[in-house]
Amino acid sequence: MSEPQRGEHWYRRGIRTLQFLSIVLMWVFLGGAIIWMVNLVGAARAQGDAITLSVGISLVAVQVYALVASVLTYVFFGLQRGRRGAEE
Amino acid sequence: MRRFEPSCTRDEALFRPTEETSRRFYVAVAVLLAVVLFTACMYVRQLIKGLAVTGMMQPVTWGFYIISFVFFIGISHAGTLISAILRITQAEWRRPITRMAEVITAIVLAIGGLHPIIDLGRPDRLMNVFVFGRLQSPLLWDVASISAYFAASTVYLFLPLIPDVALLRERDKKHRWLYEFLSWGWQGTPQQWKVLHRAINIMMIVVVPIAVSVHTVISYIFAMTLQAGWHSTIFGPYFVVGAIFSGIAALFLVMIAFRSAFGLKAYLKPVHFEQLGKLLLAMSVLWGYFTFCEYLTGFYGGEPAEMRSLLYKISGRYALLFWTMIVCNFVVPVAILSFRKLRTIPGILVSSITVLIGMFLERLIIVVPSLENPRMPFPTHFYLPSPTEISLFAGAVALFLLGFMLFAKFFPIISVWEIQEGRELGIAETEQRLSAYLPDEEVARV
Repeated sequence: MSEPQRGEHWYRRGIRTLQFLSIVLMWVFLGGAIIWMVNLVGAARAQGDAITLSVGISLVAVQVYALVASVLTYVFFGLQRGRRGAEE
Repeated sequence: MRRFEPSCTRDEALFRPTEETSRRFYVAVAVLLAVVLFTACMYVRQLIKGLAVTGMMQPVTWGFYIISFVFFIGISHAGTLISAILRITQAEWRRPITRMAEVITAIVLAIGGLHPIIDLGRPDRLMNVFVFGRLQSPLLWDVASISAYFAASTVYLFLPLIPDVALLRERDKKHRWLYEFLSWGWQGTPQQWKVLHRAINIMMIVVVPIAVSVHTVISYIFAMTLQAGWHSTIFGPYFVVGAIFSGIAALFLVMIAFRSAFGLKAYLKPVHFEQLGKLLLAMSVLWGYFTFCEYLTGFYGGEPAEMRSLLYKISGRYALLFWTMIVCNFVVPVAILSFRKLRTIPGILVSSITVLIGMFLERLIIVVPSLENPRMPFPTHFYLPSPTEISLFAGAVALFLLGFMLFAKFFPIISVWEIQEGRELGIAETEQRLSAYLPDEEVARV
């Protein structure tokens, strides 16, 4: 492999790693949202607040985050598979 | 399944803003940056001196910042809702509009979401929302719903952008790393198109209930209280209608500005303004109906606190603003847009400007007069926004313009692949329709 080819190879690898990290970040965000909601439901329980409402709202919000993260992940891996399929 | 052609150069005009930068662009960016910097200084001053630099005082504890928050989040409905509804209904004329609408949503949501933080005298206490927040509070529902809407609308903007980013990756060597990163390995293979279309279809359906719920939840921060003028069961749909209404008006302004600044007359044709103008007219009538219902029920009930607040708006200190709002949101748009001859680009421009002024006044009339008339025996304080609050509003508008200009500098503001897809589909559809009722060419020759 020549020097420019090696440079291009590492450049592409770096880009792909960053792309993968962006997907991971979305799931980390989802994890953070779940921890936050669980913490707030715990706080509601400790203060004797209406717990059902807290759980209901948390479930709706977390579902949206999860759906968005899932769609992004599906697209990311779907595009990678489509690209590899074309190269083969 | 279609094969994507990155070398296609039919729509060169759409790439021009990303490849050519005029002097006017730099001047505009410099002016907007100066406004944003000035605003930042005013905010730092507010941080140092506290909320005393604003016009807010007991009992008016919500002022320009919360008005701007509701106003900007309302405008954000332009994008996702309009784009998603037009995609779902397969309205072919949507193609040059959807990208602009989606960008408005993403930028305005980010700006609008900052306003409650600006409204906090001590922004360092923001973390308390995450640690000690009460999920029973509509304020926290706002945090959850706006962040979910922001995530969903950003993804909804990003997905249809991928094929265009791949086109730019081939053209722009200077920012290749950016386009390479954002194109996610797009090559336009049939498998990739299938995945992308499926994801866009999922998102266009999902974002509609999210967008509707966001503005409903924003109305709850008012409606869930027992404050006169706020405690209303129709506030949810009333806010949603107002949001779509102001969103369409903002979209028109952006369309008209970009049409003239970037020479996009071939793409943003009078038919687009005509069709969307009808939607603005429908929303204006709907807004008038909701306003009538909202005030009639309050008036008919005749509850003393409610009546005091209502009369304060329509014939008291806020009468001028109230009737200006009615003229701007109902009289002017209906008078202009009802007539085909007036439903031209200048007519739509006038209607859109008045609607945006009217909707800002509507938010002001909802927030402030009710606070000035509390149920408790409190001396009434007449709220006037301070220079700090006005400059922060100006800064938010400048930030929006700056964000939009920078987006247009790096990405096509009109979806290139959707325009090309529209052409292909249009030709195929016409051929299919003709072959259904006309004899085949070979048969006709025999």
